[in-house]
Amino acid sequence: MTPQATIVSGFGGQVTLLLHMRALWVASLMLALLLGITAVALTSGTFPLSLIGVWEVLTGNPPTKTAGIVVWEFRLPRAIVSSFAGALFGLSGAILQNVTRNPLADPSLVGISQGASLAVVSLVVAFPEVSQFYRPVTAFFGSLAVAALIQWIAMQRSDGATMRFILVGIGIAAFISSITKAMLTYGDIEQAQEALGWLAGSIHAAGWDEVWSLTVVFVAMVPLLFWAIRPMSALRMGEDVAVGLGVKVRRTRIILITLSVAFAAFGVAAVGPLGFVGLIAPHLSRRLAHSGIGQHLLLTSLVGAVMVALADLAGRVVFAPIQIPAGIVTAILGVPVFLTLIVKSQYNRQL
Amino acid sequence: MTRGFAIMPLVLAALALGFCWHIAVGAKSVPLVTVFEALTNYDQSIFDHAVIYNLRLPRAIFAVVAGASLSVAGALMQGITRNPLADPGILGLMIGASFAVVMTFGYFSFSQVAFMPLVAAGGALVAAVLVWGIALAAPGGATPLTLVLSGAAISTFLGAIITMVHLLDEDSYIEMRVWLTGSLTGARMDILYWALPWVVGGMALALTLARQVTALAMGEDTANGLGVDVVRLKSLAMISVVVLTGSAVSIVGPLGFIGLVIPHVVRLFVGADYRLIVPYSAAVGALYLLLIDIVARIVLAPIEISTGIVTAMLGGPFFVWLVRARL
Repeated sequence: MTPQATIVSGFGGQVTLLLHMRALWVASLMLALLLGITAVALTSGTFPLSLIGVWEVLTGNPPTKTAGIVVWEFRLPRAIVSSFAGALFGLSGAILQNVTRNPLADPSLVGISQGASLAVVSLVVAFPEVSQFYRPVTAFFGSLAVAALIQWIAMQRSDGATMRFILVGIGIAAFISSITKAMLTYGDIEQAQEALGWLAGSIHAAGWDEVWSLTVVFVAMVPLLFWAIRPMSALRMGEDVAVGLGVKVRRTRIILITLSVAFAAFGVAAVGPLGFVGLIAPHLSRRLAHSGIGQHLLLTSLVGAVMVALADLAGRVVFAPIQIPAGIVTAILGVPVFLTLIVKSQYNRQL
Repeated sequence: MTRGFAIMPLVLAALALGFCWHIAVGAKSVPLVTVFEALTNYDQSIFDHAVIYNLRLPRAIFAVVAGASLSVAGALMQGITRNPLADPGILGLMIGASFAVVMTFGYFSFSQVAFMPLVAAGGALVAAVLVWGIALAAPGGATPLTLVLSGAAISTFLGAIITMVHLLDEDSYIEMRVWLTGSLTGARMDILYWALPWVVGGMALALTLARQVTALAMGEDTANGLGVDVVRLKSLAMISVVVLTGSAVSIVGPLGFIGLVIPHVVRLFVGADYRLIVPYSAAVGALYLLLIDIVARIVLAPIEISTGIVTAMLGGPFFVWLVRARL
């Protein structure tokens, strides 16, 4: 038996999170990596700052006033938001891949991100006076509507439904992005420009508002994740087995998809539609440590956070002073991985 | 075969009517009679005639050439891949062409527009080979799913690089912005002149291949049995497809979904014979793009919707319908 370490235990053993040693190592490694990236992100930029300077700012005695403002108002919230958003995208993808039993499912591929984008762009262009505060809710309902539509269309015939889910999603995504584009050309130029910057998947505008709203989202969603572990483990073995284990498959699927949509939507609302993180993070964490669903979700959220933090940092420093939106970076790095998955995937035969 | 051409005069008449209507619509609508007069009996001193000749007529010609080329390209692709979801846009050829054009003419500021169709065709060819190769390497081979997925992946990848290039080089962005949404507004007459020979060549090639494509669409074994050299046929068809796609993209930019929709519609009326599908696709595709461009200009007038947005709005749902009905 592999060595295990108990991380969380409560409610008389009803809720336990056991970690294999390997998973624990990988998790610690990812956490260290995330901290390292954050440290580099805090030092780099047009205003140069040494690691010691950053430390002084964070501990409360900034070397200069500017240094304090740069770190507290710009770099730190940005680093936190990118990590949070990455974790959200990773979790969303992990749940979606589990429910659809499809290794290629990704919120940005099947129209869920596009639904959120359309909803937010409509909000920005049509009701510019509405506060940013409503963006997450709008994004959530937009993507939920799209997810429901795709499910409804794809589920009309039962055979090979998961592959049809993806193809239908691609078609819907094309349709929705065209409406979004029309909104952008038709709308007022200033609002359109704001929406355009957000659409490219950029984290540059992130501030403490986003940090707090994402924290609230996370705290609210984590208990739901604990609930999701059991049905997800059952679903992983196939629908028949899940039924045998007493899972109400239809209801569970709907709840899990809603959960996945919610994660993606809140991520999109904060940083714009970043592609491929939800696709790759679950695969990468499975590669790093083969484990049960609970650990898989934990690792996936960490890997997702590292990916987006790294993408944002790379976009900031590679072509400095020009910033490349993180969405562009994740797409350029994500596509080769996606293609490898297509070539290796056994699931294509289903069609 | 000859019976299949019975409705051709009807389609051509509709095309002629659509052409004139397209010219008549605009910021200042011109009566159809005046359009006829201007086309048959041009008088330079009449203001309407000048507008028609210098502004409206080129735009209508762009629509006809691009619509016809993209539809024929789509029809050939659907035939040789035996894939109902094939389309130059969906399988990544268009973004390949756009990418090549943006890099050469935007980023490296190459200015010989004479080479634009060739550059675009080269880009389309590279993208097509990539997408095709990836789909073939996947287990299960080049199924509709693997083709569409690798096409989507290559499109996302090249699209991201185009965006990045534009962020790094603002001049290129300003120059290419309108063109990249797939628009008839910014199209240029000189590029049309350079593209036209290629379009004609591509069409002629498509027509000569049509008989063999019909055989191939029934399956590779059937085609082999009928004495078709499948590899040669596929290579020639690929050349025709990339030349047509490249020419269309160099004139009007990436206009999605036309090559997907039109061949399916045509097939409903003329059946599975590509000797009919190819010419009908050309005519119906031209008509379709004329009508789309009319809609794009009058729905929100005086604001003009980019033509590419309208084709995607109509094409996306059609794609979904195809997935449900055909797969």
